[in-house]
Amino acid sequence: MDLWQSIRLNVASPPLLFFALGVVSVLLRADLRLPEPVYVLLSTYLLMAIGFKGGVALNEAGFSQVWLPAVAAVALGVVIPLWCYGILRMGLRLSAVDAAAIGAHYGSVSAVTFVTALQYLASIQIPYENYASAFLAVMESPAIVVGVLLGRWAGQKGQWLGPDMRRVLHEALLGRSVFLLVGSLLAGFICGSRGAESTHGFFVMPFEGVLTLFLFEMGMVAARRLGDLRRVGVGLVAFGLVMPVLHGAVGMVVGHWSGLSPGGSFLMAVLAASASYIAAPAAMRLALPEANPTLYLTASLAVTFPFNVTLGLPLYAQMVRWWLGTFP
Amino acid sequence: MTTHPMTLVTVVCEALARQPLLEILREHGVRGYTLFPVEGAGNKGDRPADIEEFGNIQVEVILPEAEANRLLENLASRFLSRFLGIVYTAEVRVLRPTKFETHRS
Repeated sequence: MDLWQSIRLNVASPPLLFFALGVVSVLLRADLRLPEPVYVLLSTYLLMAIGFKGGVALNEAGFSQVWLPAVAAVALGVVIPLWCYGILRMGLRLSAVDAAAIGAHYGSVSAVTFVTALQYLASIQIPYENYASAFLAVMESPAIVVGVLLGRWAGQKGQWLGPDMRRVLHEALLGRSVFLLVGSLLAGFICGSRGAESTHGFFVMPFEGVLTLFLFEMGMVAARRLGDLRRVGVGLVAFGLVMPVLHGAVGMVVGHWSGLSPGGSFLMAVLAASASYIAAPAAMRLALPEANPTLYLTASLAVTFPFNVTLGLPLYAQMVRWWLGTFP
Repeated sequence: MTTHPMTLVTVVCEALARQPLLEILREHGVRGYTLFPVEGAGNKGDRPADIEEFGNIQVEVILPEAEANRLLENLASRFLSRFLGIVYTAEVRVLRPTKFETHRS
């Protein structure tokens, strides 16, 4: 399969077509709106489903296979904000807090992007480590903590640990999605394959349909922020397009080194390439309120997220094909 | 029916500022408030509430005038400097003034 073929295959899938429909509906002002609780409900379902499935796989695989890639995922989350900070400071001349906040977003992960990647692998029938959602769970927080520390250290010399560090850590380590994912992993781990069978009809069968509905909503959410592109400047838009590719390459290599299959290395690439748009903004607003939310939210939600789910996924698949050579 | 004068303080702010705002209210001994999710637009652009975290919240509390003034000062110095939001007051009349007394711990 060449790159164009795999892009076509990705973009012509139900989730992505409805993602596009969501974008178009906002651009044409079709005034389609899903009620706000839909977002919470669908994201809860998706996290629960992949967490549970991952927990069942964890039960079968045991921790001996999982710890090394998990440590690698955490390490990626720690180092990505550091070089993002450098690039944004020197290259784009952003303020220290803005650079640190954006770095935190790019080091952290987007669960939707990951879930779309899982569906992509399923559609092209590539096997992967089913426990990979454990890497999603451990990779959300480290970058947020690093970003906050970096922003405070650079922004206000001296008291960078601050008295409210406890709240910041709570926000970073116990965000809604991390809690739900870890809880679902645990539930799946306890139930094992018995639980997988009994929930198959709910967690597996409707999965692509629910993802389709969710991406339809996400298309609208992303498109509503497109107007802010003008406020953030060309440099940051370019950053939001180039960094995922760079991080994808690094993630793929790290995944491969830590012993993952080509499918698993692809998922590690996707995790490294994705940028957070819920957990990180929430933590940044509380911990680094001086950072400009328009910058990090627009870059992550209106640039990197749409890029990753449309062109990014096939591109990272192509990278795996080029470098590891064992991907259909 | 006899009614009593009180001050209504309304804060419309980003939803992510919920905890810090409620903490300030607690410090003032506020016992009751009403909070609802809202959306709108301001000088920093649209605030669509398609995702709860990105929308706004509106918090209303009713206080005796003196306490309301102290709260306003506190909000101006510690809250509005960090978060997007607006604060306004209105004179209202309530039926049972004891419901709105603050008690500091």
